[in-house]
Amino acid sequence: MIRRLLIRILACLSSALILASSIGVIPARAADDVLTIRVCNWEEYIDEGGWEEDEVIDLESGDIFGEAALYEEFENWYYENYGQRVRVEYSCFGTNEELYNMLTLGDKFDLVCPSEYMIMKLMSEERLVPYSDDFFDEDNELNYYIRNVSPFIRDTFESNEINGEYWNKYGACYMWGVLGFVYNPEVLSEEEVSTWNLLVNEDYVRQITIKDNVRDAYFATLGAIKGDLFLSDDFLNDPDYHERLAAEMNDTSPETIAEALEYLQRVKDNVYSFETDSGKADMITGKIFSNLQWSGDAVYAMDQAEEEDFELDFAVPEECTNLWFDGWVMLKDGIEGDAERQRACEAFVNFLSRPDNAVRNMYYIGYTSSIAGGTDGDQIFEYADWCYSADEDEEDIVEYDLGYFFDENLYGEEQGEGSGEYVLTVPEEQTRRQLFAQYPPREVTDRSAIMRYFDGDANARINQMWINVRCYNIEKINAAGWAALVAAVVLILGSVIYNKTKKFRNRSIRRPLRPQ
Amino acid sequence: MKGMFQRKYLGIPYALYLLVFVVLPLVVIVTYAFTDAGGKPGVGNFLNFFTDPNTLGTLVYSLVIASVTTIVCLAIAYPTAYFLAMSSIRSKGAIIMLMIMPMWINFTLRITALKELLTMIEGNLALHPFMNSVIGMTYDFLPFMILPIYNQISRIDKSLLEAASDLGADRTQAFLRVLLPLSMPGVISGISMVFLPAMTNYVVLDMLYNSTYIMGSLIGSYFSAYDWHGGSTISLILLVIICIFTLLAGGDENEGTVRGGSIL
Repeated sequence: MIRRLLIRILACLSSALILASSIGVIPARAADDVLTIRVCNWEEYIDEGGWEEDEVIDLESGDIFGEAALYEEFENWYYENYGQRVRVEYSCFGTNEELYNMLTLGDKFDLVCPSEYMIMKLMSEERLVPYSDDFFDEDNELNYYIRNVSPFIRDTFESNEINGEYWNKYGACYMWGVLGFVYNPEVLSEEEVSTWNLLVNEDYVRQITIKDNVRDAYFATLGAIKGDLFLSDDFLNDPDYHERLAAEMNDTSPETIAEALEYLQRVKDNVYSFETDSGKADMITGKIFSNLQWSGDAVYAMDQAEEEDFELDFAVPEECTNLWFDGWVMLKDGIEGDAERQRACEAFVNFLSRPDNAVRNMYYIGYTSSIAGGTDGDQIFEYADWCYSADEDEEDIVEYDLGYFFDENLYGEEQGEGSGEYVLTVPEEQTRRQLFAQYPPREVTDRSAIMRYFDGDANARINQMWINVRCYNIEKINAAGWAALVAAVVLILGSVIYNKTKKFRNRSIRRPLRPQ
Repeated sequence: MKGMFQRKYLGIPYALYLLVFVVLPLVVIVTYAFTDAGGKPGVGNFLNFFTDPNTLGTLVYSLVIASVTTIVCLAIAYPTAYFLAMSSIRSKGAIIMLMIMPMWINFTLRITALKELLTMIEGNLALHPFMNSVIGMTYDFLPFMILPIYNQISRIDKSLLEAASDLGADRTQAFLRVLLPLSMPGVISGISMVFLPAMTNYVVLDMLYNSTYIMGSLIGSYFSAYDWHGGSTISLILLVIICIFTLLAGGDENEGTVRGGSIL
């Protein structure tokens, strides 16, 4: 009996472990002439098609409609343009860490879409395949990515490096955004939410959520504890402002981590919860008044709220914000030097970068695509205009400049004046609503910093700090607590021992007397 | 002879299952637990666990949550099972069905519903994280406590109670000295079905906004930080706790069955 129970428990524990680690393992071999590429993306991070008929996006340049999932449509598109049958084996991951563990356990993928820090980690571990020269050939009409990627994204990917290699060699940006707070404007003022210190604001005790994710929490904490420095005139006017901001927001010295620990303990005592996915729903059901959110999910939350007939806004703290990217990278373990496979993967990225497909993704998932259009038409800007531009009879309207994202003229060697073409005329409220979250204005991206991956000791220190924040510290138990604990243990052990001995005694006395 | 031989083969699927899903993972866990990041063998991971006030605190916190949950479950389940088993009402089957029914629905769905219910009652859930965790786990595990106790009590021959009263025991005495001891195996299997899972059922805590880690979430946090050694160590410690508990409880269970059997 004991053994059976034990085995049962062991079986449950270990099978859970194995199952957890093996999700996504799909060894595949299709028919001989069909090439299979294994793509792993974030959950709900691509248009799955199946739109209702009234969901057509009727831009001037033509209607856009999601019929089937993009990864399915890709198969036909690839055959038509490259003359080869390809099958996309599409699977999903939940967090960057989960993806990394899957890869480490030996799952084989050709193309995955991690965030910028995970791309840097994979780059530094030399696990990625660089994009081919063909991919960057702007004259090839099928190279939608390089022809249409936003100059802002392109510039960022060409100027950020790890170990001397630039991101764009290995990564093609898919979505991007910033970190901020979604809030209920009836309860909170824009001023109150425009600081990371909202997390410890005692006026809203247990009414605000933070992400259950060490990197986002650490970023917000650094923004708060270094806030005075960031807002000082000296710092703001420093010619090396961006470099200094990036350095400060990647500070992993033991002293800073100790300070962050203290701050996060205050946060823990003040916030509603550390959430992974419940924040959006809790905002909409009104359980909380504000939650730390990535801009794409913020758009989603605001859309949902609108359907329920109330308003949510988005704000980015004045101190600074986190600029993040998710990008497609190819893995050496999957591609294995197979040029055909690599071509299909690169084509997949290009297919997703075709402006109409980028619009479909944005419509479907709420995040902001890295694609700006340009060479292959202005559908992206048209879409922004379609979503946000003010009606003619609207009174409170403002101009909203998106030049930094769309305008080639502002970047590159012949950097000059903007064309001024990319200005939307929108209702004033959009400057703190979906438009603001989807395309934050220049002054927001100007105070943003990229958080790199933490290496070795720094990573260990920060993870330990996080565990210390979340664990119950035994030193918090007071004398009365200890007394109760000891009493409970003594009581339980005592009764077990008493029972056992009693039974032995009883049995030895009674057995001869008992009638059989 | 031939029949025996063939019957042995029936065990092969389970043996394979054991090997792949129990033995191998266990070997992996033990290997990771007794090596450090550089692959050098040692007990450093365990020293870390037992000297860190935070991990120790988590162990204590998990034990307390699990104990309180078990006590609450027992306090609700025992009377329920007792009255159900002893009563002769006709709708007994329906009531049992009502209790088992929640077990057919995935527990995350049930907790999602509970969350809304509790919010209506309490307002802000985050103000009482400990209480909510206990409520959530009780909600989750109660059927696992009621069923074994109910089964055990139903199996008791009612004439034993009549005999007790014939011999001069009043109702309290008959309950305490006859029924309670005979129902102990059910109670013990109920406790082990509740106490052990409650120590690691962190999803309930997450969903009900308790930000403090218990053992399950602690293991998860080590794995998501790629620290497989730390995570395996804690898994192993949990396993040892479970073994100790099962040994203690299992001993009683055997005694109980033997005793019950011999009387009947």
